[in-house]
Amino acid sequence: MAVRSSLKDTGPQARTNHRLKASTVRLMKQNIPLMIMFLPGLLFYIIFKYAPMGGIIIAFKDFNLRDGIFGSPWVGMDNFVQLFNQAQSLQIIRNSFLISILGLVVGFPMPIILAIMLNEVRKMWFKRVVQTLVYLPHFLSWVIVGGIVLSLFALESGTINRWLEGILAEPYPFMYEKVSWLFIYLGSGVWKEMGFAAIIYLAALSAIDPHLYEAGSIDGANKWQQIRHITIPGISTTIILLLILSVGKVMDVGFDQIYNLQNAVVSDIANVISLYIYQIGILRGQYSLTAAMGIFENLVGLVLILLANYIARKFNQGLW
Amino acid sequence: MKATFGEKLFYGVNYIVLLLLGLSCLLPLVHILALSMSDAHAIMSGRVSLRPVGFTMESFQSLFQGTRIIDSLKNSITITVVGTTLAMVVTILTAYPLARKYFIGRRIFMLAFLFTMMFGGGTIPNYLIMKSLGIINTYWALWLPALVNTYNLLILRTFFIGIPEEIEDAARIDGCGEWRLLGSIILPLSLPVLATLTLFNAVGFWNSFLAVLIYINDTHLYNLTVLVQNMIQSQSVLQEVVASQMMQADDTSQITPEGIKAAGIITLMAPMVIVYPFVQKYFVKGALLGSVKG
Repeated sequence: MAVRSSLKDTGPQARTNHRLKASTVRLMKQNIPLMIMFLPGLLFYIIFKYAPMGGIIIAFKDFNLRDGIFGSPWVGMDNFVQLFNQAQSLQIIRNSFLISILGLVVGFPMPIILAIMLNEVRKMWFKRVVQTLVYLPHFLSWVIVGGIVLSLFALESGTINRWLEGILAEPYPFMYEKVSWLFIYLGSGVWKEMGFAAIIYLAALSAIDPHLYEAGSIDGANKWQQIRHITIPGISTTIILLLILSVGKVMDVGFDQIYNLQNAVVSDIANVISLYIYQIGILRGQYSLTAAMGIFENLVGLVLILLANYIARKFNQGLW
Repeated sequence: MKATFGEKLFYGVNYIVLLLLGLSCLLPLVHILALSMSDAHAIMSGRVSLRPVGFTMESFQSLFQGTRIIDSLKNSITITVVGTTLAMVVTILTAYPLARKYFIGRRIFMLAFLFTMMFGGGTIPNYLIMKSLGIINTYWALWLPALVNTYNLLILRTFFIGIPEEIEDAARIDGCGEWRLLGSIILPLSLPVLATLTLFNAVGFWNSFLAVLIYINDTHLYNLTVLVQNMIQSQSVLQEVVASQMMQADDTSQITPEGIKAAGIITLMAPMVIVYPFVQKYFVKGALLGSVKG
């Protein structure tokens, strides 16, 4: 600074500095309206995304409303120890793993298959009609889908049991047998989200060079070989990207779906983390214990997503 | 080129499977619609499949007279209209600076926002934040935490970045400031993606369920989703409705809980199903853009 100020404003060095400063000023000026625009969004992320992360500390406290987040006494890992010593919470963790891994195994490939099938349709009107229909369930709430499922599969008044009346001696308890309940749970999840999830693969498919298919069929590749060697490699980046993202959700069984499909009879397998947090945390006020459960779920998700990305990077397919 | 037998078979099977999938999405909805418009005898004896049997609107009538559905319908509309407007405004205002190369700190902000997609405080800390803000039992507890969806933010930002810089440069030379640039150049060029995100937000608010269960205690403030869920889950709510309607009407044979439930599901579903076809052409385009590049 001393050297610079000793120079008169005549040398080339000083001129550059001057220009730099002027451009900095211009940049700042240009940024003022942007910062004003950005402020509400920034506050949103601070208050509703990052502040709750700070709220995690209550998992290490014996939280009570009177003393607040900061006043409540520290208890270290007690809440976690309690979680991992209760048979009930262990069962809930196991259920969450089981249900979401099954959901992933069943639900992940279906949109890919659907997209490939839609991509092979040559009649555009047919493609549009099918797309319109299969996207629709995504926009219905789980209350609606749960209501439809119940009206179809209910024991007394369910449509399917009415149809089976002639065949079976007595109605089949679809919603009360664990295996059939699990099938209905997984099936309704696939039914609701398969179409919408296919959109992203359809986008990736439309980016594949059509010349590849021409070349393939000239070389005598049949439909199956074309799909196997052109279509699937063409969308593999998208598949891996979405797989990494969904691996991060492996503990996270969505509340709406399970809440609207569960019943007391199948609670042995249907009781999952999101239900537990609502019922024990929100309704019964055991904030610290359920916050600990929440952290456990989120940490497992974070670790899995980092791990998946690490593995994908080994094959040069990482997200970041 | 002539199709081989194998190819013909492939296409045939493909069309049939897709047709069945499409029907599987449509028919359950048609069945519920038929149930909602059938008379009690037909429903109880299981004769209703895809067309109303003994057509009657009694189920809708008792639904609208015997339950609080009109109030909850109004609540749902308030939640959806205000929530969607707020969310769109804030999402646009957040995405635009993040799409400008000269915006200071855009990389850091972007990373900080993306991180929230992978990790968060969870239900309980969120609840305690709302509590300390004093917005429990108000719709602010539904609107504020849903102002920005990071995925939507990404889609919008990607779209903004894709708008050719030449257009902006021309506007800038004409003396356009950032606000005018956004309002009169960028937004009119982004209508497909804005329509898409408006639909996504509106669907989210219309369907809000867990947030209402957690943050709203006053039953008068319940939305349609929670009201219909209560009707589906607890038979007793409906028995009361049926009983009270029976007191009023002489001809009681028309009402059954199943029919009222179906009518409730149809009422909850109707706005989505009506609006969806009009926005569909945009959202396919809009969602494509964000996802391929993002």
